[in-house]
Amino acid sequence: MKKKRFAITNMILALFVLTVVLPIAVMIVWTVTERWAWPDLVPQVFSLRALSEIFRRSEALAKLFASSIMISAAVAMASVVIGTMTARALVLYEFWGKRMMYFFTVLPFMVPATVFAMGVQISFIKLGLNNTVAGVVLSHLICSLPYAVRLMMDGTAAVGDRLEEQARVLGASMGQAFFRVTFPLLVPVILSSFSMAYIVSFSQYFLTLLIGGGQVRTFTIVMVPYLQGGDRNIACAYSVFFLGITLAVFALFEKIAGRWGKNTDTEFYT
Amino acid sequence: MRKKLTPYILLVPQIILTIFFLIGLITGIAQSLGVIPAFGLTEPTLFYYKEILTKPDMVRSVLYSLRIAFFSALFSTAAGVLLCAVLVMSRRTKGKMMRIVQLPIVVPHVVVALFVINICSQNGLLARVIYAFGLIGEQQEFPTLIYDAGGFGIILAYLWKEIPFIVYFVIALMANIDGKLGEAAVNLGAGRVQAFFRVTLPLCANTIYSGFLIIFVFALGAYELPFILGATTPKALPVQAYIQYTHPDLRNRPYAMALNGLIMAISLLSACVYFALMRRSQKKLAGK
Repeated sequence: MKKKRFAITNMILALFVLTVVLPIAVMIVWTVTERWAWPDLVPQVFSLRALSEIFRRSEALAKLFASSIMISAAVAMASVVIGTMTARALVLYEFWGKRMMYFFTVLPFMVPATVFAMGVQISFIKLGLNNTVAGVVLSHLICSLPYAVRLMMDGTAAVGDRLEEQARVLGASMGQAFFRVTFPLLVPVILSSFSMAYIVSFSQYFLTLLIGGGQVRTFTIVMVPYLQGGDRNIACAYSVFFLGITLAVFALFEKIAGRWGKNTDTEFYT
Repeated sequence: MRKKLTPYILLVPQIILTIFFLIGLITGIAQSLGVIPAFGLTEPTLFYYKEILTKPDMVRSVLYSLRIAFFSALFSTAAGVLLCAVLVMSRRTKGKMMRIVQLPIVVPHVVVALFVINICSQNGLLARVIYAFGLIGEQQEFPTLIYDAGGFGIILAYLWKEIPFIVYFVIALMANIDGKLGEAAVNLGAGRVQAFFRVTLPLCANTIYSGFLIIFVFALGAYELPFILGATTPKALPVQAYIQYTHPDLRNRPYAMALNGLIMAISLLSACVYFALMRRSQKKLAGK
């Protein structure tokens, strides 16, 4: 009885791992595939054409790298800073309009980005933000921020302000108390907020298309024509390259957060 | 005095961004009611809403989008919760398994569309495997799973991305409850499975509902997957809205905004249902 149940759970888990990993593996195979005719299960001809093509145009790749990764990193950075501020206000203070403010911070969860994008474009045009990197960053920020705020609110609530009060009593200024006491405790949450905001920005297609107007070329904007035009090798090569970078950065974050978790004593706020 | 002002100072950037967001929404709603002063239209009217709810191709778009959003959310939530239960009961809520769970969350929808094309098209790996087993004799016999009128490929793409999302969203809470109250129920004589269904699952219900809601609203309003993997007709609501939006005749813009208004109305309505459900279950817990 017990053994049988283990067999079933293991089968479910194996199936899950397979469905997650298989498409990624197939994508990696596609980057070095030249010919893969029906009905073979493995490609007939391999080549490095797609890879050499994206790396040969290294200037275009560098530009794409810069605009894509820099935009998302800027959005994530701003989300973390603003998210931390908003979370502090909403968690640690009582003030008039608090509930309404909370409602507005999570409203972007309930209204799709497409609806917002088509409504706001005219205002962006009037402000001269359309077709600019700044406009794209701003519009992404509006969609990424709610995720950062949610995570930072949980983090801020867990850390609380008792230690900060202690520091204040002992003579630290407000800024000192935050940066020397609370900030180090928040680092793990800050890293996960950053990652989440980065992912949301990095995945945007429609907002970038509309607000960037084809002038701001991010990874998704460059990808879609290859997908539709059928040059799948190039689409796969780009995807592998950019996903690789993203995963490497996140792995680094996790290392930092892990090390941080060991160094700081957590017993204070549990 | 300074202490009183602090929260407002902290909220300044948030408020500026919220204003941008609200400008977008209000402009959209005004235009959907036919109010575009730049074109000399100032009388509000419900004409465009009536129009989109009666034109056959628009109605089909609405149904198509609702179908995709509902089934994506339903299947993702059900499979996600099941998987979560398996992970919790086999005590694999940390380490390697969670790495695998996090992977799809990082992958953009555009890349997921690429996966579906690679695997599920008539030329894809799945068709080849089925052929190799001799279940189909020809490439054309494999059912068209993408660019189909049923939105099957789109739903599959959402499942790949959102099942892990549900696991990620629910697992910490579920592991915590199962480890404390579930364990207590087992000590009091309940079976593992019984403890899970009678204790752990009901206590996770709120989080599960909100996971469902997030996926439903997202799938209803998202553009890229139906744009890349969808059929020529019917078109999903956001795709239809964008076509109207970029129509050379600017008088079509209110149609785009009315479609957006509809997406927004359905999203907010589902959010209200969610809050009502949540309040009820909270009352039930408090009443006991």
